[in-house]
Amino acid sequence: MLLPAGQRASGEWIDDTLRARAEEKGLLARTPRAGDFPRQRVELIRDPDPAGAVNRLYRERGWTDGLPIVPPTLARVDEMLGAGPLERHTVLGDVEPLGGVASVEKIAVNAVMAGCEPAHFPVVLAAVQAILDPAFNLRGVQTTDENVAPLLIVNGPAAARLGVNAGWGALGPGWPANAAIGRAVRLVMNNLGGGWPGAVSFAGLGQPGRYSLCLAEREDAAVPWPPLHVEQGYRPEQSTVTVLRAETVINVTGGLDELASVMGSAASLFGILHGGKPGVILSPFTARRLAGEGWTRADVRRELHARGRLSAETWRRSWLHATVRASDWPRWARAAAEEGSIPAVEEPADITLIVAGADLPIPQHAYCPSWGHPPCRVTREVVLPPAVRGTMTGP
Amino acid sequence: MPGHVDVQTVDELRRNLAAVTVDAVIRNLTEAPARVGGDVVEPAPADIVFEGNLDEVNRFFYENDWSDGLPIVPPTPARVAEFLRFADRPGETALGVLLPDRRRATVWNVAVNGVMAGCRPEYMPILVALVEAMADPRYGVEHSGNTPGAETLIILNGPLIKELGFNYEQGALRDGIQANTTIGRFWRLYLRNVAGFLHHRTDKGTFGNTWRVVLAENEDALRRIGWPTIAEDEGLPAGNAVTISRYTGGGVIASVFGSGPDRMLPYLADALVGKLGWELLFTVGMGAGSQRPLLILSPILAETLARGGLDKAGLKQRLFDLARIPAARLERYVGEWTNFIPGRPSLASLVKAGQIPAVFAESDDPERLVPIVCRPEDLMVAVSGDPLRTNAYAFAHNGILGYPTTKPIRLPAEWSRLLREARGR
Repeated sequence: MLLPAGQRASGEWIDDTLRARAEEKGLLARTPRAGDFPRQRVELIRDPDPAGAVNRLYRERGWTDGLPIVPPTLARVDEMLGAGPLERHTVLGDVEPLGGVASVEKIAVNAVMAGCEPAHFPVVLAAVQAILDPAFNLRGVQTTDENVAPLLIVNGPAAARLGVNAGWGALGPGWPANAAIGRAVRLVMNNLGGGWPGAVSFAGLGQPGRYSLCLAEREDAAVPWPPLHVEQGYRPEQSTVTVLRAETVINVTGGLDELASVMGSAASLFGILHGGKPGVILSPFTARRLAGEGWTRADVRRELHARGRLSAETWRRSWLHATVRASDWPRWARAAAEEGSIPAVEEPADITLIVAGADLPIPQHAYCPSWGHPPCRVTREVVLPPAVRGTMTGP
Repeated sequence: MPGHVDVQTVDELRRNLAAVTVDAVIRNLTEAPARVGGDVVEPAPADIVFEGNLDEVNRFFYENDWSDGLPIVPPTPARVAEFLRFADRPGETALGVLLPDRRRATVWNVAVNGVMAGCRPEYMPILVALVEAMADPRYGVEHSGNTPGAETLIILNGPLIKELGFNYEQGALRDGIQANTTIGRFWRLYLRNVAGFLHHRTDKGTFGNTWRVVLAENEDALRRIGWPTIAEDEGLPAGNAVTISRYTGGGVIASVFGSGPDRMLPYLADALVGKLGWELLFTVGMGAGSQRPLLILSPILAETLARGGLDKAGLKQRLFDLARIPAARLERYVGEWTNFIPGRPSLASLVKAGQIPAVFAESDDPERLVPIVCRPEDLMVAVSGDPLRTNAYAFAHNGILGYPTTKPIRLPAEWSRLLREARGR
């Protein structure tokens, strides 16, 4: 069994800090064996029920999200590594806040545990690269008392090939790629970054998206617009992962009016304060209708920017307004308040607009408000190993 | 800095500095790194870390980076105890603290790695002396992972050569003799498991090479011609001793022809010159005066030179005088072709600054001949190999990044009895 735990470049294991923090906070009941493991790469587990023993042990050491994991055997991890483009010793960076080294092998261990198929691994690597980008502010995401989680959006041919669902219930259960890829990123944050709830991560309530928050954009005939990655300058045959910081996912059924009304609410306060880049997931039905009427994506963003406004009165009476110094609010927001209302984002382009969900005549959208500095929408190309790339066909 | 500074144009350097390096420097200076508590917890010396059959032990040790890829002998408590009987100090005795892992070297962990390497228990006094040498700051073990990837050579002197069956004749540098081979392997295992040099991590050697087997000197030949041993040259009295030194590479000097020094020395001196390139910066650049090339003579070559009237000091003086290169070429190694020393200093300026001896600036003719080491005694000469072959061997040295370090070997009380018992097993 390989160990998923974080070791810093200087040699210390972050679990020693985590154990101390968990002890201070009276949280050892959750992880009674925190820090209790051999300081080495592999460990042999002998038990009549080895998978059960690994699960119990890893859970009690604080290495899971509470759900059962797939035991990271040498064979499974090797298979995972074989499906990725990078050599096992390559280091992608240190995972904030505790700074475990994100070697490709350590990421593979966590991906196996999360239930990833080897084919998912290139997407996991791209997503980890994205959350390690300083613009993502992983330290903030891990330690804040807000409930933010990374929202992963997969684009390009890899999505369909790996079965990353963009349709029916894309953000719900039942889709192994969506579930496992997002979960792998969470386990990396937990095991290499040390984002243990209550000990290092102080999110007050959390959110189910902290298990996994991963979907693909619909790029099929039902959608009339070029997809997100093409809009960002990638070629259609390239595949990407785009990562946003999402406070939550708010369902909005209706049209742009309803979306604008939710965006122009207290849900956007942190986004306004930090200048975030929230996500809007538009239903295929609505996208097709708007395109038919001649709307582009940019038109939709302009419309939501123009109409998704929070009244200056609501803003002034908000808890956040009372808590934060007036000078901490961005100049554009204060100026807009003088005019009577504040848009949910500074510029229309700050809205990350994608199309996903079932092609239903009942238009279901979602608004994913953002949290934290700096404004962030990080995209990384999914690099497939040469053998896979060769058999790949563009859309 | 993306890529490597050495291969970038000034424009590329400037762009990369502005786009990447400056930000990173500011971040490093202004952000407090997350605090991580406590020392690394490792198994206690006598902990049983694994139980299983031989194949399982080997797989487990290899996957945990504790082995070099060859099968190990499992370091069981019984085997370690047997090694400890041959140490003159108890297992918990500290021999030093080794970089980069800052792990404590102890007699105990010497024994553990000795068992794993396939050593016999009676090699233990040599292993302890080797680790004392490794821990000596003069040697500089912390450089063992540097990018040129040089490798240590262990030279053994004293009666132990014969008592323990070291090879010092035909094939002296070849694996295949247990004492020479397993002690060479021990050295690399100890660097891995105690100092902490691991592929892709603390080891940055671009190529590196396999560990070298122990070189034992032919002390019978040395005695016949009255030459001191390597350990005596390095200041120890006659007796058992190890000398370690780190070499970037070496090669054979085949078919040394001639019946006396005048005929033989130009060829040997030319070979010494030929082995040294960038390593000359340890003569006149970084760590000036620390270049210590090693010449190994077969006994018949040493005896022929001695018959021609040379003692060892005289031989070194003759080689020092003959092994010379044009000053302009030395300046190019140090200031133009490599990038270790900024500002392209001239040899004359280095002499003037008192960093190297006057012999490097006896005129201002760029074609004047200058030596390859600072002093005749910087050359090391050993005698070993097939006694009747007229071949020699020369090693280029890594200077301050693995300086020659000699330690006496201390035997336990009742060595003779212990050795007799061990031989019977």
